[in-house]
Amino acid sequence: MQKIPSHTKARHFGMVIDVDKCTGCASCMVACYSENNVSFRDEESAKMLSLNWIMVYKLTNGESFPDTEVCYLPQPCMHCDGKEFGKPPCVSVCPAVATDFDWPTGIVSQIYTRCFGCRYCMAACPYHARQFNWWDPVWPADMEKYLSPNVSARTRGVVEKCSFCYHRFQLARQKAYHEGRPEEIGEDEYQTACTQACPSGAITFGDLDNPEHEVYKLKQDRYAFRLLERLNTNPSVYYISKRKWVHRMADNYLEGEVPAAFAENEA
Amino acid sequence: MKIDRRCFLSLAGGLVVGHLLSPVPWKMTDDIAIWSQNWPWTPVPEDGPVRWKETVCTLCPGGCGVRVRTIRDRVVKIEGKEDHPVNRGSLCPLGYSSIQYLYGPSRVTTPMKRTGERGSGEFEPIGWDAAITEVTRKLGELRQNGKSHKTAVIAGDDRGTVPYLFKRFLEAYGSPNFIRTPSGRDAHETAAYLAQGKSAQNVGFDLENAKYILSFGCGLLDGCGAPGYQFAAYSNFGEDHKLVQVEPRLSNTAARAEKWLPAKPGTEAALALSMASVIIDRGLHNRNFISNHAFGFEDFTDDNGNMHKGFRSLVSEYTPSKAAEITGIDARRIESVAVEFARSDKPVAICGYYESRNTADIDKTLAVHALNALVGNINQAGGMFVFPEPDYDLPEVQKDNAASAGTEKPRADLAGSDQYPQSRYLLNLLPKRILEARNNDLPVEALLVVDANPVYTLEESEKVQEAFEKIPFIVSFSSFMDETAKMADIILPDHHFLEGSRDVPAPAGVGMPVEGFSVPVVDPQYDTRNVGDTIIDIAQEMGGSIGSSFPWDDYGDFLEKALSDRYRDLTRNGYIVNRDRVSGISDAFETDSGSYEFYPTRRHTADNGDTDKLPAYREIEIPGSNTNNAVALVAYQSPRIASGAVANPPFMTKTIDSKTLKEDKLFIQINPETARNLNLKQGDEAVIETPAGKATVRIDLFEGIMPGLAAMPAGLGHTAYSRFIAGKGVNVNALLRALPDPAYGMNTAWGIRAQLTKA
Amino acid sequence: MTTSAFPEGVKRCSGSQFILWLLPAFLVLLIAAYAMFRVWGFGLNQTNMNDAYGFALWIWADLAVIALGGGAFFSGFLAYIMGVKQVKNIINFAVILGLVCYSMALLLLGLDVGQPLRGWFIFWHANIHSMLTEVAFCLTIYLGVLIVEFIPVILENPKIQRIRFFHHLSHNMHEIMAVFAATGVFLSFFHQGSLGGVPGVLYGRPFAFREGLFIWPWTFFLFTWSAAAVGPLFTASMCRLTEIITGKRLVKDEVYQLLAKISGWMLLTYIIAKSLDTIYWATVTAPSAGFSLMSFYTNNPLYGIWILIAEIVICGFLPALILITQKGRENRRLLFAAAALAIIGLCINRWVMVLQTLAAPLKPFDEWFMYSPAWTEVVTTIMPVAVGIIVISLAYRYLPLFPQERELNP
Repeated sequence: MQKIPSHTKARHFGMVIDVDKCTGCASCMVACYSENNVSFRDEESAKMLSLNWIMVYKLTNGESFPDTEVCYLPQPCMHCDGKEFGKPPCVSVCPAVATDFDWPTGIVSQIYTRCFGCRYCMAACPYHARQFNWWDPVWPADMEKYLSPNVSARTRGVVEKCSFCYHRFQLARQKAYHEGRPEEIGEDEYQTACTQACPSGAITFGDLDNPEHEVYKLKQDRYAFRLLERLNTNPSVYYISKRKWVHRMADNYLEGEVPAAFAENEA
Repeated sequence: MKIDRRCFLSLAGGLVVGHLLSPVPWKMTDDIAIWSQNWPWTPVPEDGPVRWKETVCTLCPGGCGVRVRTIRDRVVKIEGKEDHPVNRGSLCPLGYSSIQYLYGPSRVTTPMKRTGERGSGEFEPIGWDAAITEVTRKLGELRQNGKSHKTAVIAGDDRGTVPYLFKRFLEAYGSPNFIRTPSGRDAHETAAYLAQGKSAQNVGFDLENAKYILSFGCGLLDGCGAPGYQFAAYSNFGEDHKLVQVEPRLSNTAARAEKWLPAKPGTEAALALSMASVIIDRGLHNRNFISNHAFGFEDFTDDNGNMHKGFRSLVSEYTPSKAAEITGIDARRIESVAVEFARSDKPVAICGYYESRNTADIDKTLAVHALNALVGNINQAGGMFVFPEPDYDLPEVQKDNAASAGTEKPRADLAGSDQYPQSRYLLNLLPKRILEARNNDLPVEALLVVDANPVYTLEESEKVQEAFEKIPFIVSFSSFMDETAKMADIILPDHHFLEGSRDVPAPAGVGMPVEGFSVPVVDPQYDTRNVGDTIIDIAQEMGGSIGSSFPWDDYGDFLEKALSDRYRDLTRNGYIVNRDRVSGISDAFETDSGSYEFYPTRRHTADNGDTDKLPAYREIEIPGSNTNNAVALVAYQSPRIASGAVANPPFMTKTIDSKTLKEDKLFIQINPETARNLNLKQGDEAVIETPAGKATVRIDLFEGIMPGLAAMPAGLGHTAYSRFIAGKGVNVNALLRALPDPAYGMNTAWGIRAQLTKA
Repeated sequence: MTTSAFPEGVKRCSGSQFILWLLPAFLVLLIAAYAMFRVWGFGLNQTNMNDAYGFALWIWADLAVIALGGGAFFSGFLAYIMGVKQVKNIINFAVILGLVCYSMALLLLGLDVGQPLRGWFIFWHANIHSMLTEVAFCLTIYLGVLIVEFIPVILENPKIQRIRFFHHLSHNMHEIMAVFAATGVFLSFFHQGSLGGVPGVLYGRPFAFREGLFIWPWTFFLFTWSAAAVGPLFTASMCRLTEIITGKRLVKDEVYQLLAKISGWMLLTYIIAKSLDTIYWATVTAPSAGFSLMSFYTNNPLYGIWILIAEIVICGFLPALILITQKGRENRRLLFAAAALAIIGLCINRWVMVLQTLAAPLKPFDEWFMYSPAWTEVVTTIMPVAVGIIVISLAYRYLPLFPQERELNP
């Protein structure tokens, strides 16, 4: 099954997030709302009704004062490669092919006009990375004016999620094409809004398979891990933390099991 | 032909079957699906050529450079400007969501005049000319009655051209009452005045170059101060950088710090002095600085022959073990941090500016400044700087007799009075003074509020509101319908920063003398005017010497003249760094001794005596009574909640997690141990009552907070703006009460005792 | 025009009594219609579902109702394919019950999607890898089959029989009914399985995920088997309920007992398979992802370990053992008590496979997700019951559903 046209360069976009660096400021969340025309309502405290393409979670090590530690874990869509490459948990279940794995980029897309809102993909996603438009989006006063034409506004009744700012990839590709260097897109030419927005430099984005990209090196860090890796979803988002308890918070371990990064130490 | 029932039914059935067999239903189904993909009420943003423009964000005093993505006449995205010296590309959530204020529902879209009861929020639109005439008439009346000094201006800042114009206006008009809102700057300015003899200057910390940041409670990564600057510094942290955070609660800053020293609140001075004692004991202080630029380090005898204890003797009382008792921090940790600090390549100790509460603890600030002096990093890269504010080369103010008489009168807020001779602004004392005054002798009869929201941000907001109700005439220049604008008689709305020009002086606390300039990137969306233009118009309409003190066509003309030779660079680059304003170590001190005064001879003390001038740890007895179920309520800041004059835009409120705010109920953080004592569980509803007020909250158990404390986020509980923020949570300021410093009048209360009981 | 509208030789209550009986059901229908109007008009914000519970009460109802409606296919299988004559005495009733169940399931599905106007994309832009696509196709086609199976029953009405065309149509349809029944059986085996596949393939949800055979997770087979086992019990129970309400005997005890015997053995084999599946899942599949059995159960009132015990022991082994013993079957009370337990067990199974799957926290920093349905969900979920009452009442009143009725009520 040839999924990548022969003239297209294969990329595998992904992200590495340094959890020890994240300050939990939520600039990434706001930059994302703004970049991607994410709508809002006056009641946003019920997080399971709130649209957030990237969500920053607060983790605590549970130790009592003053040995307490806190970390923040930003979580976009993981753009999983899936158990079998190209089959993320959400993609194969969509009955109408409204979400798809884009082989040339490794990005999991969501097609709002195709989606009819069955929410099976949400049930399939262990990360809660997908959100449903329970309401019609409304932009009060003149706020419609700030909407970006690069990302379509969603309607009520469809599922939405992080696209790794795919429109930015399209724009970068377009630019490269016009400048006579098709398929030559520099690392800094395509960066997601959250990566750019992170004021502490905790997020790195790029082609996971390209040795020249920062993420290629970072994902091989001794302390790199992925969220719920043991479910075999193969996420394209990696995290780095030197703290063992953070690793423990990122996946499930039976009694006696130790996160991989720390397994050697203990042995 | 006769149509019987059977025939009719056949016909109907035939029609149905016929239609089903035709393409009609299929076409209809398809059309309906297409319609569902293009619902007319779902916006389709118009495309067009993209232009990036650059300006400076002024929603908080941080002064970050931003780049703005525009499509035709629309602003669609804001990002941090990579080459701006303050934020170097980073930007806080408020900056990112500032476009929501540009187009949002909380904007005041046209000049307004109050129609309903004060505070009811009922206004009617009124034209600019009529509004300005109304203001000048009221101010003119006061002046005619010899009460010009009863006009006051409350401003969020006293630097930059807009505050300058207001100060100039008051001078020409005849009032001494320009009042800056309280902030961490008050204590730093005072400390710089006492130890370095620099009056009304900006104290900044060069976090960009510092290698070891010892922070006494600064919420560097919690959105306090100049968030963009601090984030930029943090993002460049390498292996050799260290951040040590002193704070009773595991804040975001403490969580990211190399070391967290959870000292009891209010004991920071003891900790700093103890660290100084360790540094001196081990001889790690900068001997060169001490011998050449220090005064009062050793015991000394003054000109009158009186012996005075020097800094060295003083701190010897603060042994680590004694400090450990006071602060609760292990003595060995105090020693090790002190040693690390002194041995570091570029250490800096900071406090005040970025704290969640705008308290002014002079002792603590002097102690922290002294730590910097001890390691000799005054006006050194990576250290503490003091530099003058930008100045403007402008013609003298013309003052008539009324103006001269008015400006000579004592200030309404008691700043500069015999009681508080060295304080410049004491807004925290004003509400009480108004409430205690008889109606025919109010200290303030007309109030202009610019870039400030005191009704929300001052302690005991209910009292502040009452005081404001007594003021006969209030003018707000706010762009947004904030709590203070809602109390105003006239609102003369300013532009959003994306619509107008303005100079942006260096953010307080930033370690470089940068001056920014914001330019319009979009046409004014509503019938608003640059506040600079408005005040010039008011002055000119008042005429006489007032009018002639404002000889400019408009604010633009004024800016060009005021900024003179800087104007071109500012408008072209968006910022300049006035390196020439940083003095070398030789002229860093304007004290009588010409040195850094560890013993601040100028320091005013409550008894006007000679003792107690050295910084010391003095226990602060915060308001409220210490009963069984008492906790000490402190405010904390979160980068996701704007707690200053400008409230959260919807995007920021969207980022607040559901253990901070849920269904409009705010959570306070307490330690599980505190909760056990009070019989409270996670999520419980509880009533918190302080001498200032009472509120219903919910309980969030957080291990990272010192037992006995309760922390409440600052910035919620708004009553104005729009439905996207109003009514959400509780305003912590309403529960707090200021405790004036006996000699300086500034608020010294780090918290308040509160009764916390299960609802 | 003297022909009675009622089937030949049977007695029916008066018209007014009949209308009075249907009134509550119509009332429920009316409220449900209003709820449907709200949901279709204002969107799914009218429910209590959220992003954690993308699937909730309705999907449970769908799965449960289809499994219970499975009585139609399995009775059909027994009657037409296996040639078990006794079953023919209840087959008409089973078909009607199935029809109600399936049409209501489809209606609830139509309610449950965010964009019902383009719900047909599931057929037009079908993703053949999706279990839901399989469900949608099989369900729709099988509904068609059920309608075809139901038409001859309608045509049995004496008034309609008078019309020549319909008389012949009915006759000819009866001739070929076995073909349709066979098709239906095949489809049904398949989509019952697909419904089991819906949770079973979710490899991101370790509570539901099962390994399996080729592309089919074990739940695929378990769902089919359990529907086949419990469906007929549901048919029998509803039939018995009709007997109680009408005060007439409609089906001979031997029919019930035969169904109970078949179901009992099926239930037993099912529950053994289910137990093995659970043991394998709890000891191999889930631990490989770092979960122990108790990771999926908690002390909150909804999702305690009791739910597993209730499903497998109390509502699984217990009724199965009752039904396989002759004494158990011959005691009518015990038989139907066992049937009720089995039905509850099936509903619990569908409930946990849908809701507990979503409730259990996966990220260690997540908490259990809780949900309680909104009135709109509750009333529309009760709606199938109301529709069932109306349809069965009408059918019973006007159609010869029970060949043994005349014999049993002389």
